[in-house]
Amino acid sequence: MSNQPSSKGSASSRVAAASAQNSSSSTRLIWIGIAVVVLVVGVLAFVVTRSDGSDGGSATPDNGGATPGVTVVPSGKVAVGPIVVTGTQLPELASGGADPAVGQIIPTIEGQTFDGTALSIGPTGEPTIIMVVAHWCPHCQREVPFLQSWLTANGAPEGVRLVALATSNDSGKPNYPAGQWLVREKWTVPTMVDDKASDGAQALGVTGFPYFIVVDAQGKVIERTSGELTAAQWEALIAAAKSGSAQPGA
Amino acid sequence: MIAAETVSTMSFFFASLALLCWAAVVLIGTGALLGRLVSRPIPLVESLGADIRRVALPLAWLIAAVTMLGSLYYSRIQHYIPCELCWYQRICIYPFAVILGIAAWRRDAGVRVYAVPVLAIGAMVAAYHTWVQAYPPVDGTSFCTADAPCTLRYVWEFGFVSLPFMALSACCCMIVLLLIARPTPRTASLVESP
Repeated sequence: MSNQPSSKGSASSRVAAASAQNSSSSTRLIWIGIAVVVLVVGVLAFVVTRSDGSDGGSATPDNGGATPGVTVVPSGKVAVGPIVVTGTQLPELASGGADPAVGQIIPTIEGQTFDGTALSIGPTGEPTIIMVVAHWCPHCQREVPFLQSWLTANGAPEGVRLVALATSNDSGKPNYPAGQWLVREKWTVPTMVDDKASDGAQALGVTGFPYFIVVDAQGKVIERTSGELTAAQWEALIAAAKSGSAQPGA
Repeated sequence: MIAAETVSTMSFFFASLALLCWAAVVLIGTGALLGRLVSRPIPLVESLGADIRRVALPLAWLIAAVTMLGSLYYSRIQHYIPCELCWYQRICIYPFAVILGIAAWRRDAGVRVYAVPVLAIGAMVAAYHTWVQAYPPVDGTSFCTADAPCTLRYVWEFGFVSLPFMALSACCCMIVLLLIARPTPRTASLVESP
């Protein structure tokens, strides 16, 4: 009799202990289940991302499919500057109020395109719209194909020079390098590659992307704006460049 | 391309874990709803619920720890720059990689009183950040500065899973786990007391 439970208290203790043992067992099973699921997800991630040629969404070279007769920016191998800036740096574009840069002569930026061809941004004797884009900026990723489709449909604006500056180039950010991205978008606007410190963008007073500067034939700033543009706003910038004064709607 | 492949694999992995977090939230929520709506207890749901309650606290700690390590992986190893909204989310999550560990060790489910409000704030910031990344404001540039833009999608898995979405998933899962957590009984001895 000595090895039999002899009291109500000891019986309930035995039940509690058995229950605790069951709980411990099912808890262990849950942890094993979680470990197995995480392991399966890890293996799946490895297999999926290593077997289908995926590179994590980064840019892949794609020079094919360009429309014949349209000069797409050359991809080349230049991913960052060098550039040389001369002249007075433009003040940063304020979020509200009058733009202090209006009327100021833009600095001259000497640089190169993605294939190393020399390109200049500055007073060139003709009205110019300068577009500043960053490869990782989602606004630019939407604005570039939008503007390119406008240019494809309407042609380059007469009497207005278009030039772009690919800035804030960073291999640690998505959609790098900018050259491959712009080739994929069949971007036809001559584009300069900014240097690693983004000195070109700083010289133009860039505060956000995309960024547009309209200058007259003498190189004086007519207006600047930042953010995605609608077709009407883009056409207002072209009109401003042609007329020499800011147009409503831009 | 090894680095690109590695980050791709890690992003797929973390994004999948985020979706698993949502699966857990739905599962636990459904179980809780069933428990309230059905008058007669369902043995399987009751049993599973009791088991999940026991592991909820250490599991919440594990999620906090993995979230912190994942966040540090992206910023310290991949050199992704955390934006302002990222920092607010970090503030709301990082401490729990330690606090929930201590709570799990002490079997202190009462930590929910302190943890859930902070995690809820983190979830709200993460939800806003997720929305901003999914639908970047067209006319404003306040979230698109050159050094650390909040709109930058460093990760965009499955067409919708971003880094803030991962943080949102982790916060919501931790909140649900903390709400159902019950203290785990200490290891029971089979030796009867005299």
